[in-house]
Amino acid sequence: MAPTYNIAMVSDFFYPQPGGVESHIYQLSTKLMDRGHKVIIITHAYEGRTGVRYLTNGLKVYHVPFLVIFRSATFPTVFSFFPIFRNIVLRERIDIVHGHASLSNFCHEAILHARTMGLRTVFTDHSLFGFADAASILTNKLLKFTLSDVDHVICVSHTCKENTVLRASLDPLMVSVIPNAVVAENFKPLSPSENPSYPPPARPLGPHDIITIVVISRLFYNKGTDLLTAAIPRILENHPNTRFIIAGSGPKSIDLEQMIEQNVLQDRVEMLGPIRHEEVRDVMVRGHIYLHPSLTEAFGTVIVEAASCGLYVVCTQVGGIPEVLPSHMTVFAKPEEDDLITATGKAIAALRANKVRTELFHEQVKTMYSWENVAVRTERVYNGICGAISEGEFYGYYEGGNSNANSWSATRGRSGVQSFALIDRLKRYYGCGIWAGKLFCLCVIVDYLLFLFLELWFPREGIDVCPDWPRKKRKDSRE
Amino acid sequence: MLTTAPHLYLRRPSPTTAEFTVTTCPPLTIPLRICLLTISLLRAAIFAAAITTIYSRFFHEPSHPSPITSVPVADLLYQGDLLLLASHLLQALHSSPPGQFLASITQPLSNSGLAVIASVITYFSLFTQLHTTESLLVLRGLGIQTSTSSSSFSSPIPNTSDGSNRWRGWKWWFWGTTPTKTRFIPTEKIRDVLINEAFRGFEVRYYLIVIVEGEEDIVVVFPRLLPGRKIVEEVWRGVRGCLYEGDPNHQSLGGSWGQTGTIGRKDN
Repeated sequence: MAPTYNIAMVSDFFYPQPGGVESHIYQLSTKLMDRGHKVIIITHAYEGRTGVRYLTNGLKVYHVPFLVIFRSATFPTVFSFFPIFRNIVLRERIDIVHGHASLSNFCHEAILHARTMGLRTVFTDHSLFGFADAASILTNKLLKFTLSDVDHVICVSHTCKENTVLRASLDPLMVSVIPNAVVAENFKPLSPSENPSYPPPARPLGPHDIITIVVISRLFYNKGTDLLTAAIPRILENHPNTRFIIAGSGPKSIDLEQMIEQNVLQDRVEMLGPIRHEEVRDVMVRGHIYLHPSLTEAFGTVIVEAASCGLYVVCTQVGGIPEVLPSHMTVFAKPEEDDLITATGKAIAALRANKVRTELFHEQVKTMYSWENVAVRTERVYNGICGAISEGEFYGYYEGGNSNANSWSATRGRSGVQSFALIDRLKRYYGCGIWAGKLFCLCVIVDYLLFLFLELWFPREGIDVCPDWPRKKRKDSRE
Repeated sequence: MLTTAPHLYLRRPSPTTAEFTVTTCPPLTIPLRICLLTISLLRAAIFAAAITTIYSRFFHEPSHPSPITSVPVADLLYQGDLLLLASHLLQALHSSPPGQFLASITQPLSNSGLAVIASVITYFSLFTQLHTTESLLVLRGLGIQTSTSSSSFSSPIPNTSDGSNRWRGWKWWFWGTTPTKTRFIPTEKIRDVLINEAFRGFEVRYYLIVIVEGEEDIVVVFPRLLPGRKIVEEVWRGVRGCLYEGDPNHQSLGGSWGQTGTIGRKDN
């Protein structure tokens, strides 16, 4: 029987703020708890949400009071989080620290301090980044710093993995791909008993039935709103019996409104404005096609949700999107105006010809994506880094080549008996760059000294150990 | 040696009464008593020295000869003229060899410097507490009373709720003992007694709280010492046991928690 762990999920982003990362952390934690692990979440304090909280299933959340600077990311101080973090880790007897989201300062700090304290660390990357602009270069450098000494990295798609490996100069072997999932029960297609005035009709769509295209996205540049603005008038011109429903808000919504006014499309394009996550399903089931014009996307949970609602998906072939859904549920387009219009035309034609069995999508998505599965795969990562499963099993064996199990490699040294010795850690950081390497080494040394100081000043014996929430009986692995 | 980590004393004079005292004072053994007595004498000496230096610098008039010999101390006490007695005593201290020595060594200090230093020493010698003691008294059917020794650096007058008991505060000050602050909460006002966790400085602490009906703020028990989880849990069990014993509304809750030993450690 595999061991159970005490896991701390650390991220700047958690409820009450809504979002993809937040729900990922919550769902993953819940399912890991169902598998008998102990999970706590460390995040910063939100308005009206400070201190230690329990969620209904016994999930403990520490809302640490901390300075928030921008879009609920905390101020990057390298060391100031250490004392309180150490206290929480010791009182909860944490074995594994799991950080989320590369823009979260908490997560980076926690990984650094956890390694100093001799804990296993995992990092989950949720987003793609460029390499060219100044902000990306800075973020990438920071990421490289943190990930120099992380035990394992999880990415949400293969594209995201490639991106992360390049950004942080990682050994691809230590990066796993575990996609997001959706709670399929929350995204059911419309049942006949519900509100019969909306589609879908029981009979096949005729050439004069109205087809509704749904777009739900934050209206930012990277979500392809410009593409959408250009494409909508032409799509509506080519296909007379179509309607658009657009939900979401953002800086580009003004462009969309202008487009509607200029082309006098008020009766054919409905703008709903910002909607809550619970309402997404109700909007989706009003349509037949989901259009996703994003320019970059690490995973694209929303297209899984759309397919689960029984919508035919038209999306741009960027980032991790092509990995997400099987080809019979999607029509891909290049991220350009003409191709997007052609693809939408194809989708409309396919629906009118009744070639697509959208009513089967929900069951298919349900079998493909589940949080239980994500938890099982994440647990395997934990087993791998803690040495519960052998290195060979975890990383796979090299074909031929150097079969000596003791040979050193950046990855191999990390599993099971990985050395937490300061000198080994410094070696890893030193390779980060000519100046950066030295700077990082300095930070790590200061962090270590801070750790020794804390051990003296707040001795471990003086910290009360928390009683565990009654753990669930471990379910047998269904692998 | 003089203080220990906070520890708990339990007193149950009757089955319906319990007093939980958390203190940093170690058990009073003979060597400790001697030690504490020495410290008290030392404090008195330091206090006298500080007062004498102030007297010598600011209030002593060299023209007056020492009057202590002319008036017997017993007479002054008998007459109740404490002020005159004090001045006589200070005069005597000033003219004694240690007093002269003090005056000579404080000579280089400026007036204001001496005043500040001597006042600070006086204050600390009077009000420094060695031990902190906080207690919780539970009376079934009546309520609970928390008492805590207030901070040594705050006003020596305890905040009485209605302000009528001013004299009591001054009395505490007069005797130089630790002023205590008490609060009684009647049973019908107690909504619940429970253990909470919160951030405090660089750590997360457990503490016992009483939720009072109709009050915005909760009442923290043992607010200064904030003892560890072991003590807090023991007190919490004791309070529930004493307050709600035989009460079917609360029995189930208190009982089930009591049986598990530590909170929630039922399995593995």
